[in-house]
Formats: sequence, C-alpha cells, structure tokens
Amino acid sequence: MKKIKLLVMALAAMMLSAGFTSCSDNDDDTMSNMERYQQEVENTVRAEKAHKKALLLVAFGSTWQQAYDAFDLTRQEYQKAFPDYDVFLSFSSAICINRAAAGENTAKRSFYEPMYWLEAFGRVQYEEIIVQSMQVIPGEEFSRVVNAMKDFGNNKLGDLDDAYMKTVTLKLGMPLMYTEDNAKELASALDANFHKYAEMGAMLFMGHGNPDDYDTYKANVRYTQLETALQAIHPNYYVGTVDMADNFKVQVNNRMEANGFASNGKVFCAPLMSIAGDHAHNDMAGDDDEWDDAMATQTEGEAEDVSWKKYFGHKGYTIEETPYYTDNGEDALVKGLLEYKNIRDLYIKHTQAAEVVDFYHSMYPEE
Amino acid sequence: MRIRRVALGLALLCCAAMGRSQDVLLSDTLETVVVTGTGTKHLLKDAPVETEVISGRTLRQYGGQSLEDILGSLSASFAFNEGDMGSQMQLNGLGNSYILVLIDGKRLTGDVGGQNDLSLIDPHNIERIEIVKGASSALYGSDAIAGVVNIITRRHEGGIMLENSTRYGSYNDVRQHNSVGLAWGKWKSLTGFQLQHSDGWQNTSVENTPSSATPVTDSRSMTVNRHTSWQLSEQLTFAPSEDLEFYLAGTLHRKGIYRPKGKYPKYDVKTFDLKYENASAALGGQWRTERGDLLTLDIDWAQHAYYHAFTSTTLTEGFDADGLLILDFPYFAGQRLLQSNQQRTTAQLKGVFNFPNHRLSAGLEARFDHLKAPTSLASRTASDNTEALYVQDEWSQLHWLWLTGGLRLCRNEGFGWRLTPKLSAMARLGNVRLRATWSQGFKTPTLKEMNYRYIREMTNIVMYLGNENLKPQTSNYFSLGGELTHHGFNFTVTAYVNRLDNMIALATVSTSAAPAAYREQYGEMLNKVRRYENMEDARTMGVDISASYTRKEWTAGASYSYLDTKAHVYDSDAERLERVVIDGMARHKGNVFVTWEHRFSPSYALGLGLYGRMSSRRFYALDGNGRPFQIWRLTTSHNLGHSRTMTYRLEAGIDNIFNHVDRTPHGLHLGTTSPGTTVFATLTVRFKTNKSLKFSNKHKSNSKNQNDEED
Repeated sequence: MKKIKLLVMALAAMMLSAGFTSCSDNDDDTMSNMERYQQEVENTVRAEKAHKKALLLVAFGSTWQQAYDAFDLTRQEYQKAFPDYDVFLSFSSAICINRAAAGENTAKRSFYEPMYWLEAFGRVQYEEIIVQSMQVIPGEEFSRVVNAMKDFGNNKLGDLDDAYMKTVTLKLGMPLMYTEDNAKELASALDANFHKYAEMGAMLFMGHGNPDDYDTYKANVRYTQLETALQAIHPNYYVGTVDMADNFKVQVNNRMEANGFASNGKVFCAPLMSIAGDHAHNDMAGDDDEWDDAMATQTEGEAEDVSWKKYFGHKGYTIEETPYYTDNGEDALVKGLLEYKNIRDLYIKHTQAAEVVDFYHSMYPEE
Repeated sequence: MRIRRVALGLALLCCAAMGRSQDVLLSDTLETVVVTGTGTKHLLKDAPVETEVISGRTLRQYGGQSLEDILGSLSASFAFNEGDMGSQMQLNGLGNSYILVLIDGKRLTGDVGGQNDLSLIDPHNIERIEIVKGASSALYGSDAIAGVVNIITRRHEGGIMLENSTRYGSYNDVRQHNSVGLAWGKWKSLTGFQLQHSDGWQNTSVENTPSSATPVTDSRSMTVNRHTSWQLSEQLTFAPSEDLEFYLAGTLHRKGIYRPKGKYPKYDVKTFDLKYENASAALGGQWRTERGDLLTLDIDWAQHAYYHAFTSTTLTEGFDADGLLILDFPYFAGQRLLQSNQQRTTAQLKGVFNFPNHRLSAGLEARFDHLKAPTSLASRTASDNTEALYVQDEWSQLHWLWLTGGLRLCRNEGFGWRLTPKLSAMARLGNVRLRATWSQGFKTPTLKEMNYRYIREMTNIVMYLGNENLKPQTSNYFSLGGELTHHGFNFTVTAYVNRLDNMIALATVSTSAAPAAYREQYGEMLNKVRRYENMEDARTMGVDISASYTRKEWTAGASYSYLDTKAHVYDSDAERLERVVIDGMARHKGNVFVTWEHRFSPSYALGLGLYGRMSSRRFYALDGNGRPFQIWRLTTSHNLGHSRTMTYRLEAGIDNIFNHVDRTPHGLHLGTTSPGTTVFATLTVRFKTNKSLKFSNKHKSNSKNQNDEED
C-alpha cells in the first residue's frame, strides 16, 4: 500500500511540475512591450528628423512589391513638394507592418501605425504635423485615421509635454474623394489615363466601398457620383465596388445592359484603389473562376469566387488578356491610383489644403 | 550541424562496438495477436472485428522514418500531407478529427486545427500497428468515426537492456532512439529518449502568383520546414504478485518548426516560428482474479501546448493595459505567444469477465477536456466533459460463428445522452472467413470547432471561426469482408459505406461573418472566412483489397483502396444544397511490396525489400488539387553477429528511387511533399542481459491495459 501511495504522490508531483512548466505562457509584459515598441518608433523618428515639421501619409498597407514601389514613389514626390517637412509613411494594418519590416528586405521598411508615429512626433516635439489620408473615400479606414489624431490631440497616454500640446499645429489632409467636387476632379484625371480604353469598350473601375447598408460617413455615395461624372465625359465608364451593397460587379453588369452596351463588346477593368493589392490582382484580374452556368448569378454572393475579368467574360463580353500584366508595367491595367502622376498630384493638392484640427483645445476649451 | 556531428559520433561509436555479433532481428510470428477490435486478445486470423495489422516484421524490414511514412506506405487506406500544423492524416477519406490514434490503448492528445502531431510517436518504439476501420469498437468511443489506429509499443520484459538506434538520411534527417530498461525485484523501468530532426527541403522556388502580377521564382518558402523535436519517456511498473501490476508513466516532448525568411512580404516573409510543448502522465494497474477475470484501471493526463515564437517584431493578438484583446499588440524576437493549450484527463475502469461461450467486457470512462487559448477564445478558456459506459459481449456458441455485440452509452456535458450500438460477426468456412460489421458513431463538436476563432497566415489570410450552434455528428458504418488463407496465400476484400449525419466541416462563408475588429485589421488581406458547419449529409464508401503471398524466403503483397465520397452543404443564400468536396480525398490508392530474407551464416542475415505506393489525384475545395504520384523504395537490412547479449542491425535504403517530385508552386496543394530520391541508413545496437533476445515474438507488446487470455 505504501508503495502505491508513493506512486500516486510521484504522479501528482509529475503532473504538477508539468503544469507549472506549461504555465509560463506568454513571455511578455503588457506595458513594457508597448513602451518598448513606442521607443523603437521614437528612435526611428529621431534618426530621421531633419526639419521642424512632419508629414505623415497614412495608408492601409500592403504586402505587394508593386504597392511598395508606389508608396516609395509617392513619398519621394511628397518630399519634393514639401521640402520643409520630414515625410513618413504609416500603415494601419498590423500584418502589413510585420511583413514589410522583416525578412531579407534590403532596406527594412518601418511602416508603423499612426498612433505610434504621432506619439513619437509628440515626444520629439515637431512644431507642425500634417496627417494625409491616402484613402480614396472618407470611410471607415479614414475614421480610424481621425481617431488616432484625436487620441494624440487628447494626449491619451498622458506623457506628452502639456506646454508643447498647446502650441503644436495638427493638420488633416482629406481622402481623394472627400467631396463631390473631388469626385469630379478625379473623373477628369481618370479620363486622361483611360480615355483610350473607353473608346474601345466599357472601362470599369473597381473600388472598395464600405460594407454598410447605408451611406456611412458619406463615403459610398462618392462612387456613384464618380460614375456620374465619368459618364458625363464618356458613357462607357462604370464604377463598381467589392464591398458596397448594390454596387457589385453584378449591378455594374445590370447597368451596362440597361444602358444598351453591346453584349459582346470589349470590357476593361482597373482598380480604383490607391495601390494594386489583393483586390486588384485576385478579385479583379484574378484567375479564380468558380463559375457555374446553373447559377442565377444575380447576387454577389453567388459570383463572389469569380473575378471581375472572368465574370464579365462569362457574361459574353470580350476580355483582352494582355493589358492586365506587362513585363514593364507600362500599359498594364492592374495599377493602383498612386502609380499615376496626375492622381498623386491630386493627393498633394489635398495635403496643401490640409485643415487645422484642434483636438487638444476641443478637449480643453478653456485653454 | 551540431546534430549531424552528434549523430555521426554515435554512429562511429556503435560501429566501434561491433566486434562481436549475434542474434538476428528477423523473426516474426505468423500468428499475430491483436487487441484493438474487441479489447481482448485474438489471433489476427480469428479476430471477430476486422483488423488490419502492420506487423513488427514489416515495420523493421521497411525501416520507416516516421509514422506518416509507415502508414502512408504500408496501408492503402491512409493519405498524408505533412505540414507545419501537424499531420493531415486521412483514413478512407475522413480526416484527423475522425481518427482515434491510440498509443497502447490511450488517446493521443493534441491537435492544431484538428491535426494530430504524430511526431509524438517514436517510430523505432513501435511493436505493431492495429487499424480498425469505422466506429467499430465499443471500447474506444464512438467518436472514432473513420477508425482507430492503435500503436502498440515495445515493452521491457526484464533484465538489463540498453539500446541505441540512429537513423541518418538526406536533408540531415536524424532519428535517434535510445532506451534503457532495468529490472530489480518487482520493479521494472524503461526510459526512452528520441530525437527527430530534418533540415527540410524546397521542391520549388516558384510561388502561386496571379497572372496579372510579376511572377516570383526565387521564393525561399520551403516544402517542408526545418524541424527538431525530442521526447523523454519513462515507464515504471511494479508487480507485487503475479496477478497484480501497477504502472506509472510520463513523457515530455518539445518540438520546433523553423521557417526561413525571404524577401517577398506577400509570400515568404515569416515573423514567427512554431513551438510545441507536450507532456503526459499516466498511472494505473491491472488485477487478474483467480477465475481469470481481469480488472484494469487507467488514469492519464496529457497536455499539448502550441506557441508562436517570434523571430522579428510582430504586431498580433494580445492584451492592452486594460486587459482588452487587441490585434496589434507588439512582440519582439525571442518572445512567444501561446496559441492554445489543450489538456485532457481520462479515467477508465474496465473489466473482462469469462463465462462459458461468452466473454463480457464492461467499462466506465470519463474524459475531461480543457482548452486554454487566451487570444483565440472569447472566453479565453473552455472545457468539456464526457462520460461513457460500455458493455461488449463476445459470443461463440457455434464453432464456426463468432458474434460480438457492443453498446456504448455516452453523456456529454453540452449534448446529453446517446446510445450507440456495434455489431460484428465472423463466420469461418474452411479457409474462408467472412466478416460483417454495423456500428454507429457519435461525435460531439470539439471545443475548437465550437469556440475557436483564429487567423492563419498563408499566402492569403484565412480566418477560421468556430460555431456554437453545431450539432453532434452521427454515423452509421457498414462493412462486409471476406478473407481467404491458403498455403501462404492471403486475400482480403472489404466493402464499406460510412454515412454521416451533421458532419462538421469547414465551409467558406462571407467575410462579413468575421468579427468587425478582424475585418478592420486584416482588410483586403482577409481572403476567406471559413466556419465550421454541419453538412446536410456525407458519405464515404469504398473497397479495400489486399493480397499477400509468402513462400520460403519470399513475401510479396499488394493492396488497393477505392474511395468515393459525397457531401452536401445547405447554402442559405441560394436556398439550395451544394455538393462539396471532402478535402484531400483520392479515388484510388495502392501499394505493393516484395521482400526477400536470407541467412548466409549464423552471424549474417540479409533482408531486401522493394515497396511502391501510389495515389490518384487528391481533390480540394480551394487552392488546386494534389497531383497523382507513385513512389518506390528499396531497403536492405543486415543482421550482424550472434553474441548472446549484443545485437547489431543495419538498415539502409533509397527512397523515391525514380525521383518523383511534385513541383507545384507554393500556395497550392501537393500530391506528395517528397523531396525526390533520398538515402538513409539506420544502425541499431542493443545490449540485453537475459536469454530471450529476439526483437519480436518473444518480445511482448505493451498492451497490458487490454490484456486478456489468448484464444
């Protein structure tokens, strides 16, 4: 009996010790990790600080090389247009930040989230900070940019110098289609780039859109306004989205049919997004083709796994393969808006017109 | 590099010790005893529940590198796709979560996304493998809807035993097995240590890129990543009398999977490696009464913990200062984040009672599952308990007919009671045996299937969602088989159909099903959202055929498995049933082998083996189908010397002789991950003090918790 007891005790001890070793789960310490990360951003800013003013371009982010090239080009042009500013690029997507900064990338990229950049700007006390939204519409992503600025303006972490916070100038540059007039300006710029395609057939733009049923933030309506402005220039332009209710590729097709577009006419697609990423390469120009002739295909859900290129092909239109990818990228249709000079210029115009936002004094009005 | 040196050193050491020589590790029992189908011992040829066996002799001649290698090559019913997340195993078309893997009758714990980690099993330590298809066994639970794989390990019988076995192969593949067996008085101890390592390999440097994008042809993504694991095990037995035995056992296992980092953030940049920490402990005993009845008690606990070990700064799930889950918490190289920690405790009490013409087995089982996954469970932890009561009667009134009936009553915390019957019959008509089985299965949704939500980073980001509304899965398995044995010739054919109701499978749902925080954080990179759903109906059906012939020193055999699957899921958007693919299913699979053994002198025996396995296309819902393949292997074995205490055995071979390599771009499914032609050599050196040195038939298997009298 004694031995059995001993065995049971030994087993209990083994189980306990195994339990303990497994309990040292996360070797992290909440506060120190976030602060350590913040200091990394701060060091990056200190190392690059050459001026008294900072300009932060905020994009969702990407993992595509083509997108990095577009961002790099945009940053260079901003540096030229704003010689008194230090220009930084921010991603709001964690996974894009992770992958951009790791691996064998020759020049490691530091695309931190806006909240970390702004806090770092505050710590090194830039006199003026402009935040430029690289979004196309003033939707959900844009509201996150604004929230990050609010947190900074309100000194959320509470460690920024109060005297500095009273004097710093914080400006916000609006998204590409912030107003209906912006949509009209964009229509002219797009026509300059795509006119030859509209002459040959239907030129479709694929935007992102907000998934909300109604027009939150006055964002989705801009796509409709853009299509109206484009069709005023040439009737062959259409603007659809991947996420806005009732404006998917299925509805674009319905509008084309209603407008009497030739049932075997040529169809071209281009992304209406700042960079060409997963949506552009997969949802628009991809080779995914879960097409089933038996489908009613009147709802987006049914045609979800069919790319735009394949969908319009199945609908009987003529799709040309070549314009989607070319070795030098010159004539390729799969290009983000930032890859076009005249559209980068539109963004720069928005930055030049950036308005002062006073989140600090709206929080503390008596000061 | 260090591993290579250590392995080389050990191999040299062993070679130096090879002066004297002796016994041959060849022999085998023709009359294999099996236990899995009924939980009681039967000769394989007379087993009332159809059992497929991979014998010790076959295992040794084949020289398998891992359990995946062994099952994939020596049984036509299995298919594997080795990946970072574990072994994607399939048995007759059904995946891991339907296969119960037992080690000496005890459940193997731990899965990642439903996949067992078979590296927990030391291939060198396997005495034999028994496979019972369908939910046929009343003893092991009704959740083994596809079947049970019972790994019977070797057991130390007495005396002093020291053994080292080192396998070294291409891509720095190292398999080290060391064991020490001791016996003193009523105590016996067996200590084991195993090491597994491979540098991994790359079958292609091409990524699956859309036709509109710049091709990537210099990716660093690996087909199989570098990985290292080790396991320490101890088993202590105490037999106060001949009728009574107690045991205490424990294991500790660690595994790391290391991923190279390239320059394409979209494709081959990884910011973390994968780490696993497993442990188990068990105790129990058995008592044989004077009239030959047997009572056994087993209590065991096992843990499977899985971590992301960061290799560069990574923003991912974590908790902010207020304890709220955020998706962009920073971690630094060297830190790690627990993904999941599964713990399972089971207790089983079983009795086998003998009556004239009857043998009654009855048992009680209780199982407690605990899952801790702070960042992947809204509640951070979840738990579940299941109890079962079972009875089984083996009836043999007539000398040509054996009937086995079983009833299993399960109670699950969330899903209540369920009774599942099993019925098997075997008739012996001369050289022919006919077997029939009907069994019901019942499987409640796992904690992960119900509660988990996680992001998996592959080329595209896929979110997996649990579903709290899942219903339990039930199945009806029917099989009918015949076996002919005549003068060294054995032929079996079995047809089966397995009908599943409410089968749980991943279905692609709209991305709007993902929680808002995830949609916001992953944006357009969130390529697919897949959620566990009950299918409307599913069935697998097929025919397994095998034939073998043994004459003198020659053995030849072949097996073939035909599979057909059908499954439907209800699409609520379109209001219709849609046919879906059961991922990974291949219609035709087969294998062939021929072996020859010859003793040239008392101190040298040679064995040669040629093995082939083949599979037709494997079907998948997403990311392409796996290409058909056939792979051939040549093995040689050399038993050297005839000393009383020392045993030496050398195995060497060439795998994938015809250099079949699947170079499908990364991101798409492969038919096989084989790197092409590889070579390997294994040296086993064994010292044992008592007289019985033979590896197999004198070496009793470790099935004490299932023991009963032999037929």
